[in-house]
Amino acid sequence: MSTPISAENKPLPVITDLTRPFWTSAKEGRFVLQKCGHCGTFQFQPKPWCIECGSRDLAWTPAKPTGTVYTFTISRSVAMNFPGWEAELPVLMCLIDLDDGARLYGQVTDCAPDKIHIGMRVEVHFKDISEDAGIPKFRPIAGT
Amino acid sequence: MRGEVAIVGYGRTPYTRLKPGEPVLTVDEYIAWAAELALKSAGMSKTDFDDQGLGVAHAEAAHTVNWSAATAETLGISPQILLRADQGGASASSLLIRAAALIKAGVIDRALIVGADTPLSIPSAAPGLPLSPERTRGVYWDFQGPFGVMGASAQFALIQQRYMHQYPVTLEQLGKIASTTRYHASLNPQAIYRKPFSVEEYINSRVLSDPIRLLDCVPIVNGGLAYIVTSAETARKITDNPVYLLGFGETNNYYHGSRSLPDVTTTGFVKSGPAALKMAGVTHTDIQVFEPYDDYPFIVMMTLEDWGFCRKGEGDRFVAERNFRFDGDFPMLTDGGQLSGGQPGGAIGGFAPLIEAVTQLRGEAGARQVKGATIAASCGFGGIPYGRPGRTCIGLIFGTEA
Repeated sequence: MSTPISAENKPLPVITDLTRPFWTSAKEGRFVLQKCGHCGTFQFQPKPWCIECGSRDLAWTPAKPTGTVYTFTISRSVAMNFPGWEAELPVLMCLIDLDDGARLYGQVTDCAPDKIHIGMRVEVHFKDISEDAGIPKFRPIAGT
Repeated sequence: MRGEVAIVGYGRTPYTRLKPGEPVLTVDEYIAWAAELALKSAGMSKTDFDDQGLGVAHAEAAHTVNWSAATAETLGISPQILLRADQGGASASSLLIRAAALIKAGVIDRALIVGADTPLSIPSAAPGLPLSPERTRGVYWDFQGPFGVMGASAQFALIQQRYMHQYPVTLEQLGKIASTTRYHASLNPQAIYRKPFSVEEYINSRVLSDPIRLLDCVPIVNGGLAYIVTSAETARKITDNPVYLLGFGETNNYYHGSRSLPDVTTTGFVKSGPAALKMAGVTHTDIQVFEPYDDYPFIVMMTLEDWGFCRKGEGDRFVAERNFRFDGDFPMLTDGGQLSGGQPGGAIGGFAPLIEAVTQLRGEAGARQVKGATIAASCGFGGIPYGRPGRTCIGLIFGTEA
């Protein structure tokens, strides 16, 4: 299966039953993650069972839309991705430690490249990327 | 397992960046070429591997589902055992461990291990950009590409940034590692980039994804490599200079700390390096040649720490204090590494450190030969997990005496 491409010439996810709730919720402005019904762990990216305890009892659950920048990079050119990203360079890409204890790749927007730093507090906002999906991005929490 | 098997031959085809006029070979052609070189080096023929072992490292170029069997058919070999590794830059090392276990168990006596890739010839999923269709499959891609992750340089930049945040790491010492590879490449006719550069040139090279610079990155090439492993008994019959496998350690999907929020600044080498040394019955100071997997200079620094050549966080000082040249006090990356030697795809570059360690111990390294080397170590480092470095970390110890 080839990668579906958005009108902006960026890659779109191949949506499966496993991952659909994440994309649909993001399109509706809700931030959900898989939560383990056995041990309570939130995990990301989506997996078929809990990576902490091995339980398949996972439910898509609202998660706190806030977190902290664990690390960041400022991508100045498009590499191993699609040309549509050119328009957004430089891309501030981070690993975000969510307040609910999962870590994910997240683009930080509304932030000058020289202001991004480890430990910065950020919150989720959403961008529509297709008829079926939205994607979470992050922005600095004002006043922190 | 100490000293039970030995490497008795190896081959490395010329690499190409596909400049105009250079031949465009397929993966199968490179495999046959590398196998021919390895057989010649061992004084063996392909019929020596009927009823024995054939190992194939997964390539990024498209191939059939039953890839190892198809490779046997391509080469006209009828092996008893087929091995296939899909551990990226650790595949060459993991195939050696698997083959050694089968040889020790008496199932086979020897194995031919091959790998090749042609990343410069793969049709891109994003025209004009190096993005193989192989890399855009599954959940792993779905939660990176659409999020804006710019491939390995961004993934490793994130790790390096955190590493530099937690520990004193300077661009000067990362540049020393990078420029050392180019110095060694200047002594190795097979290296792809051979013009030396200075630490200043490293620091001033174009930033791709902070803090990763152009001279932090491996040049991608097309090419193939192969080696031959036999029982120690057979090795002694067919060669005067067998290179024995003295020890190995392997970790896969290592988490340092919790699974959900691991510390990404420590790799699986923290377990596999010491395990390899323990099996070999040697200590750090016995290692006369070290061949880490240098996909980025900071990974080399982390590897030195995690093996225990110095304490965590002291890598920068260690690099400052040691001389990594072939005639220095800590010979390392003696073939130019992958940073200057070239990387034939993300999966096949892992043959190079292993083969250079063997080359040094056989005394066949020419102008970059470490004099009198009898014990060497090499690393396999493969795959990029989500938000972490190195899915597989393998340490290998080799020696000229069993």
